[in-house]
Amino acid sequence: MAREQNILKKIDLPLLLMYFALAFMGLLTIYSSSYDENYPAIYTWTKPYGKQLFWLFVSAAIGGIILLMDSSLIKKSSYFVYGFVLLMLMVVLVMPPINGARSWFKLGSFSLQPSEFSKFATAMAIAFYMSRINVKLQDIRTKATLIMIIAIPGGLILLQPDAGTLLVFFSFIFVMYREGISGNILLIALLGLVISVLGVYVSSFETAEVNEANINELIAQGSYSASRYKEIARGAGFYSNNYTLAIGLFIVGGISTLLVRFFVLPRYRKSYYPAVIISTVGAILIVIAINWSYDHVFKTRHRSRFQIMFGVKEDRRGDGYNIYQALSAIGSGEVTGKGFLKGTLSNEKYKHVPEQSTDFIFCSWSEEWGFIGNTVLILLYVSFLIRIVMIAERQRSKYNRIFGYSVASILFFHFLINIAMVIGLAPVIGIPLPFFSKGGSSILSFSVMIFILLRLDAGRSEELY
Amino acid sequence: MDPYQSRRWVIILIILFIGVIFLSRLFYIQVIDSKWIDRAQSITHSRKIIKPSRGLIYDRNGELLVIAKQVYDIWTTPKDIGEVDTLELCEVLGITKADFDKRLKKARNYAPYKASVFIEGISQEDYGSIITKLKHYKGFETKKNTQRGYPHDIAAHILGYIRKISAEQYAKDKLKEEPYYLMDDYIGITGLERTYEKELRGKRGALEYLRDRLGNEATELSTNYAQEGKKIYSSIDLNLQEYGERLMNNKIGCIVAIEPATGEILSMVSAPTYSPTGLVGRDFAKTWSALSKNDSLKPLLNRSVYNSNYRPGSIFKLVQALIAMEEGVISESTGFPCNKSLIGCHNHESPSNIRTAIKHSCNPYFFQVYKKLILRGESNSIFIDSRIGLTKWKEAVASFGLGVKFNSDIPGVKKGNIPDTTFYDKWYGKNRWAFSTIYSNSIGEGEIGVSPLQMANLAAILANKGYYYTPHLVKKIGEDGDKKLSFKERHYTMVDSSYYTPVREAMEQVVLSGTARQAQVDSVAVCGKTGTVENKSFNDHSVFIAFAPKDDPKIAIAVYVEYGTWGGTWAAPIASVMIEKYLKGVLSEKGKRKEKRILEAIILDKNSDFKH
Repeated sequence: MAREQNILKKIDLPLLLMYFALAFMGLLTIYSSSYDENYPAIYTWTKPYGKQLFWLFVSAAIGGIILLMDSSLIKKSSYFVYGFVLLMLMVVLVMPPINGARSWFKLGSFSLQPSEFSKFATAMAIAFYMSRINVKLQDIRTKATLIMIIAIPGGLILLQPDAGTLLVFFSFIFVMYREGISGNILLIALLGLVISVLGVYVSSFETAEVNEANINELIAQGSYSASRYKEIARGAGFYSNNYTLAIGLFIVGGISTLLVRFFVLPRYRKSYYPAVIISTVGAILIVIAINWSYDHVFKTRHRSRFQIMFGVKEDRRGDGYNIYQALSAIGSGEVTGKGFLKGTLSNEKYKHVPEQSTDFIFCSWSEEWGFIGNTVLILLYVSFLIRIVMIAERQRSKYNRIFGYSVASILFFHFLINIAMVIGLAPVIGIPLPFFSKGGSSILSFSVMIFILLRLDAGRSEELY
Repeated sequence: MDPYQSRRWVIILIILFIGVIFLSRLFYIQVIDSKWIDRAQSITHSRKIIKPSRGLIYDRNGELLVIAKQVYDIWTTPKDIGEVDTLELCEVLGITKADFDKRLKKARNYAPYKASVFIEGISQEDYGSIITKLKHYKGFETKKNTQRGYPHDIAAHILGYIRKISAEQYAKDKLKEEPYYLMDDYIGITGLERTYEKELRGKRGALEYLRDRLGNEATELSTNYAQEGKKIYSSIDLNLQEYGERLMNNKIGCIVAIEPATGEILSMVSAPTYSPTGLVGRDFAKTWSALSKNDSLKPLLNRSVYNSNYRPGSIFKLVQALIAMEEGVISESTGFPCNKSLIGCHNHESPSNIRTAIKHSCNPYFFQVYKKLILRGESNSIFIDSRIGLTKWKEAVASFGLGVKFNSDIPGVKKGNIPDTTFYDKWYGKNRWAFSTIYSNSIGEGEIGVSPLQMANLAAILANKGYYYTPHLVKKIGEDGDKKLSFKERHYTMVDSSYYTPVREAMEQVVLSGTARQAQVDSVAVCGKTGTVENKSFNDHSVFIAFAPKDDPKIAIAVYVEYGTWGGTWAAPIASVMIEKYLKGVLSEKGKRKEKRILEAIILDKNSDFKH
């Protein structure tokens, strides 16, 4: 008993309070976004807010149990939890599909989404594996094992299919970075991302231009009709600016090689040449591959989304509908917002914003609380994430630190992708905003993550490794 | 010591950087860029038009003449129709395939993705059977509407009809400073519906609301209720109008009855007439083309105010007598011989004064009266003298409301024709006409053209001894309203009221022992004058005006029966039963006999053979 009281005293209060604040704001937003005048009570079990409240209680209860557990028990159960979740991910693939995806176990009016739990399970497995004494990240073997740990659940999730959740598994790159993989990898990843985005942008821009020219021609002929018009791709012999970009990259690579030849000491040249040559060839291949895939791999709807995201096309009825409605809802919140329960776009009553209580729930908050509310939300989220990083950093145990960073990375990725999508900075990707989007598995999974972290942190002085 | 400790700052910086980007972007969307507020408005805000109900029309005693009837319009959104069995659908709607195609094409041309009226004005009885089957078709919906209904089915010419606004009218309205009409609004086309369109249509209201994703009304923002159209109380006496229309059945012509003390029109019958109910709703086009194209008797024409070949005939002698006395060219006791070499006449003693001249309707007498009016010896040239005379005469005649257009509320009023110097100059050439050319005017023939309304007004002038109120159809606009101010203004003739006495007495004699004995009403002093308007190769028109009772006139009336021969044959008895009905409510035995004879008569042939 004495020890348990001790534990409760050692809990990191700022993180716990911020967790409660986010959970409360989330509940409030779900209440507002799915409010039904006939059932105003927040504990109406048949309504999303009643369910969210229920899952918050469940989360608190499980959180309490986690806090009472022994740290070492949590750590030791890592592989077991990971294995159990993998099993669930496999079983769920034979379940009847809901909305075209086999992601849920249906239990009466409640449903369970194992992919949500795979996030912290994978984090536990990675932490457990890497905290073993003889494991060094520099070893190829270690890297391969880590990729395996991430790829197995990732692959199973892709089979559901649920590309959004899969994307979250890329967030572990931050953990690896902190644990010492070469910073170049992050840099290369960033460079690859920039070149890819540039390549997609050029393709999108050109396609939009080609289409506009085509439309103008049809209008001049008098045979244009909006309903019948189908988007056309760039012609077969089209000279894309991506080729110019590739040539540019080739020239930059050539000059870099010459620079190495003249300015780098001979004994270092050997390690420089491959780096320059590989990155040049890689970059050129990426540009050409993207240019080709844009026309041949992506479908019209994907191209459409890219064009909308880059602002070269505005399609408020078709593919751009979601984002147009979302931005209208957010923009109409102005500085102070319309007030709680006073939204006119993103709630169940009006439903102008689709998925207003799941992926697009940020609209609901933005509309009702305005820029002031958004400032509170963003600052709170950023503080929350930084607090997790700080907590992770003060751990003596490697497991604790790695798990802490995993939690921070997973939450940060959700935060980044979800809000960027809703405010029109990223293409539409279905991914929830933690603590806000409705969904029992989601709130439970994120809560468990936080409570495990709180428990590990509270017991950090007892740990030796 | 952990060598990668400092990497935490890279990660923290990335998190902060993303936070800053998000806040900047949100600041731009929510605070700086105002376009999203407008876009949100256009997504959420919507308004619905609330149409006012059109004002009702009553008779002078508060009986309903025009009501509003609930009907249904079928609307279509062409894009939503999809593949359907057109023939089956036509059967449901009760239209032909050609008609269906025509209507659909019209709707498509308007806007394929917007709803527009497909069939208007389906009665409640038909609606029941149509809607049960129409439910299975996409792209069609029904909307409630109101349409005109006529409980008594009379007075079609007076009431007029309404129609959906035409493209031209709509375009014209759009050019106004404050355009009112919408594409599917109804507008008065003729009759009172047209004259009092502004009062009857009311004022449109609007409901502003927030809509949901499907366009349904989710939250009411504000309501601006519609103001229903004003009630119009017409001056028509329902019973008299109905009776008049019955009397004129199977005849061509008209009856106009005026209350002399006010100028209010008690009844205005134009025969043949038509049923106003036929011009309502979906039957409109069929009825209208039948009435306008396929009917040689022109039932749509309101003969009371307009017919180019109506002349006053002998009735005009009353005006000639009055003007001549006022001008001093004759006196009450001036006599002229009945010289048939001047102009034809029937056999009677030579009139020794105005009274006998009017009683016998002596043509040579008024030839000489008119000659004195036109040739006054003010110039040596008969041409110039005629010009001076005609100008003075025309001015005097105009003061009787003849040859002038009443500023009234009766649509289509015509001014008729009282010829002046310009008229004859154009006709014959300047100084190429004189009295000898125009003498036919003396007995109300020649170039004189009048409307029956003007004739009824003449009777009213005689009843009032020298003045009239502009004849009008509406006595009250709105329940507590009033009539137009201009209708309360007296118009005096240029003839002094003392000169009316001999003329009125002569008119009484006309009824008692002259040409209009058929116009007698028991115990009522009727004053009248017959007219027989010449038609060269057909029967003459039978014309009669009268007012009664002589000392306190309640009704002034004019009757035209085309091809009815002598004024006393048909027009006089019709006027007398109208007067009797109005003054007494029931007819005497004598009246009933007259009524029977009138109702049985069919005078549609231009050369009917009447046995007197």
